[in-house]
Amino acid sequence: MKQKTSTVKPTLSYRLKKTVVGIALLALGGTFEKVSKHSAELKEEIKDWRKGIVISLGVLPKGPAISLKEENGTIRYLGRGYKNPDVKILFKNMDSAFIPFTAQMGSHIAFVQHRALVHGSVVDGIKANRAMAIVQAYLLPGIVFGKVFKVPPKLTLKQKLFKLYVYLTMGIDMALNAAK
Amino acid sequence: MLPEYYEFICPVKILSGLKALSNLPYELTLLGAKRPLIVTDKGVVRAGLLKLVMEAFSESDIEPGIVFDETPPDSGSAVVNKVAKLFKDNKCDSFVAVGGGSVIDTAKCANMIVVEGTNDLMKFQGVDRLEKDMKPFVVIPTTAGTGSEVTSAAVIYDEASHTKMAFTSSKLFPKAAILDPRMTMTMPAKISAATGMDALTHAAEAYYCLAKNPVSDGFAIAAIRLIFENLLTTVKEPKNKEARLAMLNASLLAGAAFSNSLVGVVHGIAHATGGVARVPHGVANSILLPFGMENNFKKVGPIIGELAPFMGMPPTGKPMKDAENAVAAVRKLGKQLKDASGLPTKLSEAGVTKEQLPEIAKAAINDGSCTINPEEITYEVALDILKKAF
Repeated sequence: MKQKTSTVKPTLSYRLKKTVVGIALLALGGTFEKVSKHSAELKEEIKDWRKGIVISLGVLPKGPAISLKEENGTIRYLGRGYKNPDVKILFKNMDSAFIPFTAQMGSHIAFVQHRALVHGSVVDGIKANRAMAIVQAYLLPGIVFGKVFKVPPKLTLKQKLFKLYVYLTMGIDMALNAAK
Repeated sequence: MLPEYYEFICPVKILSGLKALSNLPYELTLLGAKRPLIVTDKGVVRAGLLKLVMEAFSESDIEPGIVFDETPPDSGSAVVNKVAKLFKDNKCDSFVAVGGGSVIDTAKCANMIVVEGTNDLMKFQGVDRLEKDMKPFVVIPTTAGTGSEVTSAAVIYDEASHTKMAFTSSKLFPKAAILDPRMTMTMPAKISAATGMDALTHAAEAYYCLAKNPVSDGFAIAAIRLIFENLLTTVKEPKNKEARLAMLNASLLAGAAFSNSLVGVVHGIAHATGGVARVPHGVANSILLPFGMENNFKKVGPIIGELAPFMGMPPTGKPMKDAENAVAAVRKLGKQLKDASGLPTKLSEAGVTKEQLPEIAKAAINDGSCTINPEEITYEVALDILKKAF
């Protein structure tokens, strides 16, 4: 029996994964902005970015996406969707996005396993990926570091306190950013 | 152990053998082509290799539209646009690349411009951005190292932004690769050595880096065995047809392996060394390979050890000892090639200065290859490898 793909309704599993990935992206966007204002390590990383570069992170074919912009050495969360990006980091499908966004796999492995790809300058994509790893250290619980990073980061006491602050304010940030 | 998920693609028809070139008109006919544009360089013409290609067209229905022989070593977007314009102006219908990596990448990118109807390569940067099928494209390699005849990638210098643009797409694969040993017999000893070590680096890194898979492993092992059995012979006996054909095959096998499994820190640093200190890619890879292998001992030592038997070192039953033996075999081959051809074994011998090392390390960590390396490559780690190789 022939069936038009447009009439195929997404499964409950797909919709759940899409929701989880959407929330994870929202959390990542806000945390990226916050960490970029406080972390010396991330500031050092962003220093080498092209001025004003817009980077989007999204899921193909029509999954959630967010956009981030370099502004004066920090990152501004532009909101959901693709906002005229210079570089896109894309996951090929929802299953491929769900695994790294639930900390079951590092983003480097997502690239290794052809689950993610870069549209635009690969060098800019690598820089963004490295910066994202710094942000993830503040976003993810330490217990999953071994799965996500090649070398698990060791946070200082000051960094741990900042991570606590990130956790405490994440709900408010996400509520504010959800409207963007 | 199987990876959780992997992909592998190599849709290139391979024609390998003495006088395989004679099949060029037949292959073009199969592809529906009658008027190819031939992309090559001055070195190929001077060596008399273009003449062999043109002779293959005699008494066939194929008439080359035009020959472009001005491809520079590091081709740029201006050259690519020029080739694409020649293609249209001369009503060509296909591409034939006769040369090494730069020639092949120029043809790949010119093909992209012709098909996509634009002269702005920038918008195709990245992975899988091409949707249209390319014009028929046949490659005749004249070096045995890059493996570009079976890769889905191309790198071109952009004069406007002063950056190298990288393109990866399954559409970029040539339709056929013709391996004819006559095409590499005039290659000077040092270039034979450097390009052969480039192929070895492709195969070794494809085998032990993070994107390894059982299909590319097979290609990588076959390449390594052929390289250890034949590379030194091609350097010492340039007219040895069997060894030359074996090295062409090794380069192709290694190319198919790394086009799918990618490469690691050796390539990351070698690309940067080329950019900063103008060291030829194969020379830089040759110098850095043993240090890159050692860098990964902690994470994948036993996997590196699996390569030792294919490098002429009998297995010891101790994985880490085998890993050390594999590195020793690579160093021994490098030393033999140095004695036979003058191939450098240290960065200082290749014209790199100590002052350039930090700049190279900084550029290296932005190379995608370092992401695929098992060990994390920070600036400090890259600098440490460079200092050891200096």
